Amino acid sequence: MTNQPHPATPGGLVRRTLRRQRRGLAGAIAFITLWQVCEAAVPVLIGVVIDHAVATGDVERLLLWGVVLCVHFTVLSLAYRFGSRIGFRAGQEESHLLRTEVSAHVLSPRGARLDRLPGDVLAVATGDADMVAEVIDQVVYTVAGIAGLLVSAVVLATIDPFIAVVVLVGVPLVLVCTQVLAPRLAHRAHERQEAIGRATGLATDLVRGLRPLKGIGGERTAHDRYRRQSREAMGASIAAARWEGLLYGVTHTLSVAFLAVVALVAGKRALDGDLTIGELVAVVGLAQFVAEPMGMIAYLVAKLARSRASARRIVGLLAAPPLVEVGSSAATGPAGLTFESVSEGSLRAVSIEVGPGETVAIVAEDPSDAGSLMHLLRGEGTPTAGRVLVAGVPLTELTIEESQRLLVVAEHHVDLFEGTLHSNIDPASRIDEARFGAVLAASAAVDLPDDPVTVNGMTLSGGQRQRLGLARALAADPPVLVLHDPTTAVDAVTEQRIAEGIDDVRRADGATLVVTSSPALLARADRVVHLVDGEVVAVGTHAELATGEAYRAAVLR
Amino acid sequence: MTGALLPISTAREATALARRLLGQRPWVVAGCAAMFAVEGMAGLVAPFMLGRIVDVVVDGGSASAITIAVLWIVGAAIVGGLATFLSVALLARTAEPALADLRETVVERALELEATQLESSGSGDLLSRVGDDVRLVTESFTEVIPLLVNSVVAVVFTAVGLFALDWRLGIAGLGAVPFYVLALRWYLPRSGPYYRREREANGERAEALLTGIHASRTLRAYGIAGRHQELTTAASWRSAQLAIDVFRLQTRFYGRNNRAELIGLLLILGTGFALVDADQVTVGAVTAAALLFHRLFNPVGAIVGLFDEVQSVGASLVRLVGVAQLPPPVPVHDPQRPADGHLVVRGLHHEYVEGRPAVDEVSLDVAPGHRVAVVGASGAGKTTLGAAIAGRLAPTRGTVLLGEVPLARVDGSGRQPVAIVSQEVHVFAGSVRDNLTLAAPSASDADLSSALAAVGAWASVQALPDGLATMVGDGALTLTPALAQQLALARVLLADPHVVVLDEATAEAGSAGARSLELAALAVSADRTSVTIAHRLTQAVTADEIVVMDAGRVVERGSHDELVAAGGRYAELWAAWSSG
Repeated sequence: MTNQPHPATPGGLVRRTLRRQRRGLAGAIAFITLWQVCEAAVPVLIGVVIDHAVATGDVERLLLWGVVLCVHFTVLSLAYRFGSRIGFRAGQEESHLLRTEVSAHVLSPRGARLDRLPGDVLAVATGDADMVAEVIDQVVYTVAGIAGLLVSAVVLATIDPFIAVVVLVGVPLVLVCTQVLAPRLAHRAHERQEAIGRATGLATDLVRGLRPLKGIGGERTAHDRYRRQSREAMGASIAAARWEGLLYGVTHTLSVAFLAVVALVAGKRALDGDLTIGELVAVVGLAQFVAEPMGMIAYLVAKLARSRASARRIVGLLAAPPLVEVGSSAATGPAGLTFESVSEGSLRAVSIEVGPGETVAIVAEDPSDAGSLMHLLRGEGTPTAGRVLVAGVPLTELTIEESQRLLVVAEHHVDLFEGTLHSNIDPASRIDEARFGAVLAASAAVDLPDDPVTVNGMTLSGGQRQRLGLARALAADPPVLVLHDPTTAVDAVTEQRIAEGIDDVRRADGATLVVTSSPALLARADRVVHLVDGEVVAVGTHAELATGEAYRAAVLR
Repeated sequence: MTGALLPISTAREATALARRLLGQRPWVVAGCAAMFAVEGMAGLVAPFMLGRIVDVVVDGGSASAITIAVLWIVGAAIVGGLATFLSVALLARTAEPALADLRETVVERALELEATQLESSGSGDLLSRVGDDVRLVTESFTEVIPLLVNSVVAVVFTAVGLFALDWRLGIAGLGAVPFYVLALRWYLPRSGPYYRREREANGERAEALLTGIHASRTLRAYGIAGRHQELTTAASWRSAQLAIDVFRLQTRFYGRNNRAELIGLLLILGTGFALVDADQVTVGAVTAAALLFHRLFNPVGAIVGLFDEVQSVGASLVRLVGVAQLPPPVPVHDPQRPADGHLVVRGLHHEYVEGRPAVDEVSLDVAPGHRVAVVGASGAGKTTLGAAIAGRLAPTRGTVLLGEVPLARVDGSGRQPVAIVSQEVHVFAGSVRDNLTLAAPSASDADLSSALAAVGAWASVQALPDGLATMVGDGALTLTPALAQQLALARVLLADPHVVVLDEATAEAGSAGARSLELAALAVSADRTSVTIAHRLTQAVTADEIVVMDAGRVVERGSHDELVAAGGRYAELWAAWSSG
């Protein structure tokens, strides 16, 4: 996790990329330029061999120029090999650095308030990071392309200045003419990509939901939908191919016609004796060659725009503000949790007190009340009125270290990680064997198979995942623990065992807040707070409250 | 997790299928081939005529001879351009419909897969076939294949051109072929494993990043965010390092290509030298040959460079054809329409592992419109029983009858026999309306709103930004688990099956959502034969009959009051449930 500030602008990000990869950049430019110049010289050399050896029948010359050709190809090949390797390595390093920077931002202690979907964040960390790193290649090949052009221009000018002008004016003209079609093609190609993407997305989505789909017999309808998308993709592909064909055809015609013009001019000059045969071959060869670096430069300029767009997305993501609000205070009192007439979201003047060693349960009939509670407890916002105190200090005024030490909020949705049962329950390896056993027993998780846990715990049932999540929360053993609906996916008998287990583990000195409507858990709480429409309507033990009709209706099902 | 993977076709089967699909449009295929031939021949004109110009210059010919040669080139430019346009356009018209047929068949077969087959192969394999493989094949057909075909055409016609100039020059040009082959034979066996490892490393990298994004709250809460960042960094660098290794290999391969280019060029110039010396060919012919060969560098590079891609397209293609060739479901022999929703289960027995029954000789008789609740601890066999009733599982033995008709013989074209909703919720990507009409394509908005109202979700749907037209699911709005499950229940109402099986359809919604879902579940089972599998005993209390299962067997059955009074297993569960 870097302490350096993130670049604030796309240009700044791109400049930093070039700055921190400057050594690789310099090395790659040197070798790739050499390679380009060698490529430009191949047609010239062919011309020389024909001129000096084939046309004259001089064996010694043939051998000499044959050796030169061998050396030339060796230099060409090695220059490309080393130059491209250096550039590629720099690009990989850079995209790795950008990727880990994005990941570090997401995982920073205070989190990041992302306004993108997870898949989108992944795309930024992979695709966009790669695209920004491509700037290195873009710079390298643009510089090399310009060098190739300059060398070609010089060679042409020494052969015949007039032909040099024809070539160096004609080639860009041809390129410009073909570029007229390019935006339309790009548009069609984009439509094709989108259509293919939609069809693929639909297919994978249907397969993901295949069981629910078969459950209601919707296969036929689903396939009809896919067929429509697939035909749309087909139509878009055929339309794009037509434009692609047009672009290729026009490019082909123009470039060959241009070659004809050069051949006409050079042929007549050669007939007049102004050019040798070898020079004629070299001119024709170079006229074909210069289209390559020119086309390459045009392509790279277009790509630079895409790299900048990617840089903008990365900069935007890195600028996401922290999720958790923090201050600079340390705990001042005993580790309890207090809501002091808190209003936030749907909550109105809610007061709750959880002292050390106490367990308090909250029955929130409206999911948005529970949502507001959790939002505050995660420290992702401060209440509009009142205070949420942890160990005597407002939660959002504690330092991040202090709030993480004091408070653990176990979410209803349980995230599991690849590893073992043990590594999921005690990820930081903080507890001993005996404690681990106690935690397992308390979560009624003793019978969980000690198999490897896959990402997201795909092989576990909902109830198993939930018990694992509970075990992890209990193993963390924080002074203040918040559990959100920890037993919705387990059966009544297990629920009862869990209620006793939580009690055993937390009773000593932990403050525990449980948001639940499970009678088993409620019965074990020291106090139950009943929230209706954001307000506390009753506080008491489960047995006391159970005499009231509204409460009974809410929890006794 | 993954048992038997889905089948993969042989290369021969894939070729046969491709031929059959392409054969449906023979004239387009022929036109396309003709255009490629014209394009290839037109491409030969320029080098030939440049050679002619060299000869004119060497022999001191006339300026008009040069002009004529140039006009030939211009003519070839126009014909070649036109042929290029037509060949690319026709290639798309040939390949794209065939490709669409293929992917539609693949998805059709995928959707028809038996649930059991799906369980044993895991959904990952199928998912990557209808997703990644289809995308890879589709994109390569629009990007790689035209380039490849064009390159092959250029190579073939250049070879023809060399032979047309002089057969000895042609042979000299072919002298480069073994070296290209050697380069490929050196490269391909080495690159294959690397590519596979690189793909795996990229997968792990994506997994690490996604876990960090999805679970950042949990990672931070338990103080393991820093460690996960290290893990992510390591995964990212592993995949970068592999990419670098693959690239090093590639550059060594390109070096071998350069060697082949050099050898070919030297052979042509050397042979040309000897032939000119012996007055067998003109200097112009040698020039043309050298230019032809030089012009080949790019297409040959493209072909050998595309070899990897062609291989991976081939690998994807056989995976697709493997699915496309699965037999379509056998139509029901002598289908019969069930008279009513009378559900009878007789001696149902199922063993996933031999000798360990998951459901052990269970019998049920549910009168039309009645509701049975199945309760019991996890692993008691409730879900297996539900799956067998829904026809998702072929039981080891025993029968399920619907309205006196065995489930396998029920006429599928009429009213759907049995629907099942499990706790596995999926919101399909699309509008809310799309999600519902999956069950009833012809339902009107009024039908949809009344179904939603019945499950208590109409107000929530109206509150969405665009009501029924709100885009939901992957990449769009995420619905609350409760609303997602209400949509699933509304689908059942729209599908209107004889029997509905609700397998924990109200779990995982959180305590606040559970009650509204229970009401929705009741609405779905109203006036319909239903089997409700439940943890929450509230759902059992009002059932017509409660079946208590333990270790695959039915241990008690009766109404709520009877079972509580009996003081058995159910009474014990109920005490735990209601005492709190």
